[in-house]
Amino acid sequence: MRHPMLWQALAATLLAGGACDAVRAAAPPAAAAAAPAAVAARYTLDPAKSSLEFTFLQAGAKDTGRFPRFAVTLDCPGADPAGGRLEVTVEVAAVDTGDQDRDDVLRSDDLFAVAKFPRAHFLATRIVKTAAGYEADGALTIRGVTRDTKVPFTFREATEGGVAVGYLTGKTVVRRLDFGVGQGDWKATDQAGNEVTVSFALRLTRAAR
Amino acid sequence: MPLRNTTRRWGAIAQAFHWVIVALIVVQVTLAGMADDLPNGMRKLTLLARHKSVGITILGLVILRLAWRWVNEHPPLPENLKRYEQALARFSHVALYVLLVAVPLSGWTMSSARGFPVSWFGFLQLPDLVPKSRPLYEALLTTHHTLAWTLLALITLHAVAALKHHFWHKDDVLKRMLPFTRT
Repeated sequence: MRHPMLWQALAATLLAGGACDAVRAAAPPAAAAAAPAAVAARYTLDPAKSSLEFTFLQAGAKDTGRFPRFAVTLDCPGADPAGGRLEVTVEVAAVDTGDQDRDDVLRSDDLFAVAKFPRAHFLATRIVKTAAGYEADGALTIRGVTRDTKVPFTFREATEGGVAVGYLTGKTVVRRLDFGVGQGDWKATDQAGNEVTVSFALRLTRAAR
Repeated sequence: MPLRNTTRRWGAIAQAFHWVIVALIVVQVTLAGMADDLPNGMRKLTLLARHKSVGITILGLVILRLAWRWVNEHPPLPENLKRYEQALARFSHVALYVLLVAVPLSGWTMSSARGFPVSWFGFLQLPDLVPKSRPLYEALLTTHHTLAWTLLALITLHAVAALKHHFWHKDDVLKRMLPFTRT
């Protein structure tokens, strides 16, 4: 039992009915065993129908921005994301708050420093089921600083036009100063709040295998 | 000094409105001037946030001041003025009140058009007056500057006129707006 995760995943793949049946049939156990983790279903992002937004406090007033360019991969070992793997890569340089001047300031060295750190990254290798849905327990890297971060989310499967899709939604609070997003004057939080609420509503499509 | 106005002088409340607004306008010009010279960044953001909060304060005070003026008698223009001088004085006072409302209102609207909601000292977020629009923002920025400079020119004229009344005509026009004086 050197790979308990693998065995669990295999067992889940063999035992689980429903959503992942088609994938199990397509991928014989031998092939699954050769993969680093037994993946019953791999979902990738439908960018046109997904959003990744953030709400922040500027000068005492609430405002919203978005990251229009990002990639998501969700691997389901069984019928749902529990025990799976979630990876998100965000092109921070594409940040869009609806104001060119503000976006330029956000990209500058004292904030996101996109010249040096063009991407943010989240990798969760532990996804657990919770009362409200799921929780992805992983490592979030922004501006080169990595911190353990738990992201709660809900996941709903559907079949649309014969295509298997998953809707992944949720939100979490990120403290920008934990990641050094705010050097010099920007370390102050009275005009630019430390807490940023990141919310996501993603439409994922199950990759053909 | 009585709180209410009399036909001879302005009461304590009207004087307080007048001089507090004068002080806040000095603060506004200072904040705007300091922010203008700065590159986009935290300091500019901070100065402009205060500028907006003080501007909203002035707007509120001017509305209260007009209400107070409405429910109160007030000293008449001096009798030694010629008819056209009286007309000019009335016009410039109306213009001062209009601009005291229009300048903060144009600033608030301009902020809304920019997509930067206005907060009053971080305690209260004000509603956006117009939807976000870059061309509208640019037009309102010009409007806000023009109105502000017009207000400053009119305030200068107003102050020079008050001093002229005091030192040239030697009447009560300035003294009746000053605390600790007799008329």
